[in-house]
Amino acid sequence: MIVTTLKPLDEILESISPYRKILIAGCDGCTQPPRGIREVKTLKQLLELAGQLKGKEFEFKVTSVVKQCDSVLTVSAIKPYVEDVEAVLSLACGAGPQTVAKFFPDLPAIPAQNSHFIGIDDRQEGQMFDSCSACGDCILALTGGICPVTRCSKGLLNGACGGASNGKCELDPDRDCAWELIYERLRRLGRLDLIKKFTPAKDYSAKGWRVTP
Amino acid sequence: MSQKVAEPKPAVNINEDHCSRCTICSSLCPYDAITQDRDNNIMVLDIEKCQVCGICYSACPAKAIDTIYYSSGSVLKYLEKARPQYKSDNLVIMCKGSAPDFAGVGKLFGVKDFIPLSVPCVGRISEEVLLGVTVAGMKKIDILACDEDYCRFHRGSPLTGRRVIALNRMLEQLGYGEEAITMKRNSLKVTVDKDLCIACGTCVAYCPYNAPTLTSEGGISFDLDACRGCGLCVALCPAFALDLDNWERDRISNLIPQMLAGMKPPKILVFRCQWAVYPPLNGDMGPNIGTIELPCAGRIEAFHILEAIQNGADGVMVVACSEDDCKQEKVSAKAEHVVANIKAKLDQIGLGDKLNFASVSPRYPGQVEEKVREFRQSLEGAKKGETK
Repeated sequence: MIVTTLKPLDEILESISPYRKILIAGCDGCTQPPRGIREVKTLKQLLELAGQLKGKEFEFKVTSVVKQCDSVLTVSAIKPYVEDVEAVLSLACGAGPQTVAKFFPDLPAIPAQNSHFIGIDDRQEGQMFDSCSACGDCILALTGGICPVTRCSKGLLNGACGGASNGKCELDPDRDCAWELIYERLRRLGRLDLIKKFTPAKDYSAKGWRVTP
Repeated sequence: MSQKVAEPKPAVNINEDHCSRCTICSSLCPYDAITQDRDNNIMVLDIEKCQVCGICYSACPAKAIDTIYYSSGSVLKYLEKARPQYKSDNLVIMCKGSAPDFAGVGKLFGVKDFIPLSVPCVGRISEEVLLGVTVAGMKKIDILACDEDYCRFHRGSPLTGRRVIALNRMLEQLGYGEEAITMKRNSLKVTVDKDLCIACGTCVAYCPYNAPTLTSEGGISFDLDACRGCGLCVALCPAFALDLDNWERDRISNLIPQMLAGMKPPKILVFRCQWAVYPPLNGDMGPNIGTIELPCAGRIEAFHILEAIQNGADGVMVVACSEDDCKQEKVSAKAEHVVANIKAKLDQIGLGDKLNFASVSPRYPGQVEEKVREFRQSLEGAKKGETK
């Protein structure tokens, strides 16, 4: 999933302060839980209360888009409100406000979320972890399903570096050494042969900036 | 954690002088709170284990157990007053765990007018009350218990079922007809609006009972036998696709302004788990305090808290059971998390002090009043600071 957190309310208030009529647009997509209509309505209530305290009156409309990164879905959800609002406050990841900006050139698109990473939601630990850098050339088949590009502090494609102690990274003692995890996992799978395979330097141009499906 | 009650006087007590050591209480207690001390030949109540269900109270043949909640005497007194008020000779005793609203309860029994007696677990209603009411001329007694596996106190509902069978047999012999007391069972559970569901799996992640299942082919489905009606999934569903029987989102939303309109400042709206506090029959907490009961604190929604503040509440309090006392699977801890989360956001706009979370237990009467008083003082202190 995409992991996002709500921006500080002061920052959101600052961003929306030039406008009065605002559409708050949620996204039912990738975050967990989705920033859908509940989050939208809760944010509306909070901003109304904050506005009252500052003597600022907002007029909010609310909607939630199935996937705000999808231009068709976003345009169809937001179009009915275009005439009535001066700005869109988006609860989607960074792709959401950019979709709005691209397809509604006259409408300011304001993010309400900070987007962090593509991650795993570990319910047991109640935390989310960065797990995919969207590098464009996935090597998980060689690394036991653990991504060294993302989870090794040095992004090493061939490890381990030898700097880890007690399974923790020398750069960040809170962080597991990705290559030790990879080693353990491959050993468990009986595929330690894979760790001997040399992976050449990554061609980051494969990541690209556009993809034609 | 230190109790703020000056002299914690427990809500349940065993009177040694009356006790015949028959051990019925200890055999029925769902929480093993009563044990027999063979050395001293007494029954010992561990009040910290007691969940104040009242099963021991209603079952004690020697009437050696005292409780301050809904004692037989107070119930009979309440009925004396309530009978002319409701202009009915039909009493409906219901567990608040499974009772819908007044009209809903009436519908279950096919009656329009009745005297409602809502108690936490019908298992606490003794034969003495049921017979006393019959003798006092009540024409019809209906009992609404929870489905047996839904009973928050595990044994209250099954026990009442057996009690009613035995009493009916006795009453029939006495000439009161075949089924003097009727009994129905009910439970209040989640409802799903599949049109609104966005298949995110939040309910699956949070349900302590594994009631929901989500698959790509089948979408969302709930095993209603597994649902225990805590309302946690309802409170968290990002798409408002879930609701809970009798604790519907709209019903609570409508109650909020209604309650606040009738209150005097400082207005404190209390969302209260119905198992954390046992209110006195017909009791209220004064003109400043409004109460909305929840099936479990897990039903609390940030949405409703903010609605209360928007509608003029000076303070909002969420009252829950402690994690260990929670009648659900530690759902009250989740509720505390939900409250802390929205409080952190309210803090950002300077309104965090308006929200308070407290966990209390009915085993020490007066706890909730104390917590509310403290909260009120903090609110009034903050107001004074403002005007200075």
